[in-house]
Amino acid sequence: MMEFIRKNKLLTFALGFVAIQVLLAIFAPVVALHDPYAQVMVERMKGPNLTNWLGTDQLGRDVLARILFGYQVSLMTCVTAVGLALVAGGTLGMLAAFYGGWLDRVLMRVMDVLFAFPIMLLAIGVIAVLGPNVWSAAIAIAIVYTPIFARLLRGPALVICESEYVMGARAIGASDGRIVFLHLLPNLASVILVQTSLLLSAAILVEASLSFLGLGAQPPVPSLGLMLSEGRNFLLLSPWPAIFAGFAILFLSFGFNLLGDALRDTLDPRLKNAS
Amino acid sequence: MSSRFLVTRLIDLAVVLFGVSIVVFLMIRLIPGDAVAIMLGANTEITPERIAELERRVGLDQPILIQYFNWFTGLFRGDLGTSIWTGRPVAAEIAANIWPTFELTFLSVLVGAGLSIPLGAFMAQARGKGAEVAVRIGAIAGLTIPSFWLGIVSIFLLSKLLPGFSALGYVPFTEDPLGNLQRMILPVIALSLPMLANLSRLVRSAMLDALGQDYIRTAKAKGASKRRLVYRHAMRNALIPFITSVGVATGYLLGGAIVVEQVFAIPGLGRLVLGAIAERNYPLVQATILVMTSAFVIVNFLVDLLYAVIDPRVSRR
Amino acid sequence: MSLKSIGLGLLASTVIAGGAHAATLDIAIDSSPAGLDPHLITAFNSVVIVQGNIYEALTAIDRDLNVVPGLAESWDVSEDGLTYTFHLREGVTFHDGSEMTAEDVAASIRRVQSETVASPLASRVSPITGIEVVDPQTVRFTLDAPFAPILSSLSSIAIVPAEMEEDVDSLQQTPVGTGPFHFEDWQPNGYIALSSFEDYHEDGQPLLEGVRFNFVPESATRQVGVVSGDYGLLPGIDPATALQLQGQPGVTVQETRDLSYTLVGMNVTREPFDDPAVREAFNLALDRQEIIDGALFGAGVPAGPLSPALTSWALDPSEYSCYGADPEAARAMLEEAGVALPVQLTMNVLPRQDARDIAQIVQQQAAEAGFEIELINQEIGQFVQDWRNSNFDLFVSANGGSPDPDEYFYRTFYGGGSTNVFGYADAEIDAWLDEGRSETDQGARKAIYDQVQRKLACEGPIAHVAYGSLFTAVNDAVEGFEIYPNGRLTSLVDVEIAE
Repeated sequence: MMEFIRKNKLLTFALGFVAIQVLLAIFAPVVALHDPYAQVMVERMKGPNLTNWLGTDQLGRDVLARILFGYQVSLMTCVTAVGLALVAGGTLGMLAAFYGGWLDRVLMRVMDVLFAFPIMLLAIGVIAVLGPNVWSAAIAIAIVYTPIFARLLRGPALVICESEYVMGARAIGASDGRIVFLHLLPNLASVILVQTSLLLSAAILVEASLSFLGLGAQPPVPSLGLMLSEGRNFLLLSPWPAIFAGFAILFLSFGFNLLGDALRDTLDPRLKNAS
Repeated sequence: MSSRFLVTRLIDLAVVLFGVSIVVFLMIRLIPGDAVAIMLGANTEITPERIAELERRVGLDQPILIQYFNWFTGLFRGDLGTSIWTGRPVAAEIAANIWPTFELTFLSVLVGAGLSIPLGAFMAQARGKGAEVAVRIGAIAGLTIPSFWLGIVSIFLLSKLLPGFSALGYVPFTEDPLGNLQRMILPVIALSLPMLANLSRLVRSAMLDALGQDYIRTAKAKGASKRRLVYRHAMRNALIPFITSVGVATGYLLGGAIVVEQVFAIPGLGRLVLGAIAERNYPLVQATILVMTSAFVIVNFLVDLLYAVIDPRVSRR
Repeated sequence: MSLKSIGLGLLASTVIAGGAHAATLDIAIDSSPAGLDPHLITAFNSVVIVQGNIYEALTAIDRDLNVVPGLAESWDVSEDGLTYTFHLREGVTFHDGSEMTAEDVAASIRRVQSETVASPLASRVSPITGIEVVDPQTVRFTLDAPFAPILSSLSSIAIVPAEMEEDVDSLQQTPVGTGPFHFEDWQPNGYIALSSFEDYHEDGQPLLEGVRFNFVPESATRQVGVVSGDYGLLPGIDPATALQLQGQPGVTVQETRDLSYTLVGMNVTREPFDDPAVREAFNLALDRQEIIDGALFGAGVPAGPLSPALTSWALDPSEYSCYGADPEAARAMLEEAGVALPVQLTMNVLPRQDARDIAQIVQQQAAEAGFEIELINQEIGQFVQDWRNSNFDLFVSANGGSPDPDEYFYRTFYGGGSTNVFGYADAEIDAWLDEGRSETDQGARKAIYDQVQRKLACEGPIAHVAYGSLFTAVNDAVEGFEIYPNGRLTSLVDVEIAE
């Protein structure tokens, strides 16, 4: 354990940084001192003080409580989105690689169509159709990321499928499912792990941008992007909600990105050799 | 490269654009409320007959298949359609908004890709030292800082620090070169920062990879100029992923930077299409998104061709 | 450090470049209009550009909301109130150089009434059944019944050249009017530029060389822009923006009572709002002052059915018994009406910051009386669609007001009225509204509309929330601008920019 920490300082730090934020999100109802929805008009737009550690917003709600619950909303949205994309994109990518031929071409062209759209525009379009709320945002992000996972996993899957031991397994009559679960998935695990972490980091930013444009979580739901979006209308009066929400988004996205980066270093054997 | 490779890629390209045209066409029509409803807004007094007349005028009364057919055949005649209320050719509206997008893309790629090489090299050579960790964390922060937050905060700071410095809007370069560049500074920083962070990490890995190679160690042992060798080898190594990343980033930037354009009041393609979606200007949305995706697909096609030139094995795949 | 010196260098160059455009006023608004035809596009971002600047109408509205002469110098009304004769101002030319005559006026009214043009303004001139050109300077309208608000309605009908009568396209892109500024250039998503009209009928006006309407979607950016002087004027800003800019050096925020108001609409075809007692209870549950303090930053007054800006019509809200801000009494009233509490409802919310904040506060207040409200924040297209199809329990929205009570009341509360999406039908109200529009004696009309206001305030389908203030931020370099309660930039003709 200590050996691992000593060898992987960056990874340990990243893991800890992410874990703290995830725990804060999960235990927000316990940790938060205030109700994130309670409006106290006389106390609104206060800077940080002893009662409201990070101040209050334009309706007198506690910024810290809203940030803690905001972590919950952002994480739930993004984990759902990236999870859906991973399952959908991963399945499509591996199907394409495994069976090849026409299925491969059709699937990958469909993925190309989605991939060709500017990310924000595709998400905006999907949300406009579904109506603006947290779940639409999650589905929109999932649709945007599906082709990324599909393309990402198809390549390595193709290499593994053509490798001698998979050929061998096929020759001795192993079932498709067996090959996928015993050979394909374990070999792709490190790619999946790294990319999931990096895409989670990006998804947090996309969700925040969507909320910024008024298309993500809707009031009175506490969401980091929405806090930033509402707070920016009051920057000259009270910059605190916007500043703290901005940092919260940055920390969350940063944590997952650092984690992905550290994981890549740790899992990629080529980099180990470097002096 | 083989002509078969070229033909296959071109067919793929056409298929993708055809798919995009269908998706765009359907998606925009699935959004609740049409151009007439949006134009009238809530609380407008109007008879249903007049609403029907307005819908007829903007072509919304036709069956959806006919609408698609008319638009699609128009494309082959070089007619992108006309904007729904103003009747202006869509091509003219796109032309009026494309230069800011081109300029932003060009400058951001120039800055982002240009600075990434020295930065990446530095990170690789200083591996494990404090400076490297700092730069690396800085790079990740650059990648994950919300660009709209950065934009708004920097506009506010600038207005405090340099009152009178015009950072908002857009002036054509031909009209006022200095005024143009001065307004580009903040948006280019906001757009190139994530690219710089991304590319420099890529360069770093390639460099580390090169440093780990046996023959570099050998060369080093022989006392050859290490720096030149590492650069040459790493660059050759990093070329393909580097070009891919730059290609994808360029493609996306050509699709407009919605949030940055919004914050800095730049009349680019992103805002054009956002406004068009808001007013349900179907022809304008369809054409603009098709232009954006074409740019993306074509840039990627060129990148593919480049691969084939660099590495002939690709075209035989 | 070096960046800063580059910045200063660039700064010097802007100042020099800026001098040449000193007489052009830069105005920032949030989005570009869908078009410029004054008879077709009636959204704020279009009206603020064309009305009064490019186009003028027969009558005009002054700062106190009185009807004053516009392109018509004077008018005579027949005894029976059915015939209006307008005497036109002489020597008025359109921007294309042609002279403005009675033919153009007649054609403009016909254009608005025409089914093929399908103007949303048609209802404002629907009482006009006869249009007669007496001579080039005189035009006569005949009404089917006396219609007191006609003079105020005519102030919103732009006069366009007669040859545009059948043309539904040209004016959308290239407007031609008689106003002090003529259309110059439209950069999509960039700006619309107007320049001064040399042959404007008022000598010595306008003082500016031109006006530029810049489209700046981000509110924070507009704020910084007006402080830095990039923009001279921000019309129609919200209270939060106004409050922030009030403290800023170099900017003055002008304020006037707004005609428009925020409201909660109730669907009276659905339970429980089909019962007038429930509507009254809902009104009783609201603390309007708290909503104003919270969502509008204190910039507003509790609303009755008519804006206090209509000084000759509006009753004081203290006259309404149900404006008690008493959730306990509201709960008791609901229990008496046999409503099982808590009652579950949904509320559609207009996508605007003030409406969202109002919705959040109303949700809290109404909960105390036993209304359990779920907020549905909608995209504008969906909101409009649900509004038109009466698909809502409750909605929060904002409406523009009108100078005459009939314009608002008749279409909104008359059984089957064109914007009566609430399904409200009340025989007594219908009778009063019919009386009110045909009565021409001001005192008698006032008495009728007093009754209407009292009844609608408590048991009408709309809980009127607040009349906000209308704000315009003006950079100190801009001189001579005066805010108008209808939001028009009428005073631009007198504006100058200090060197």
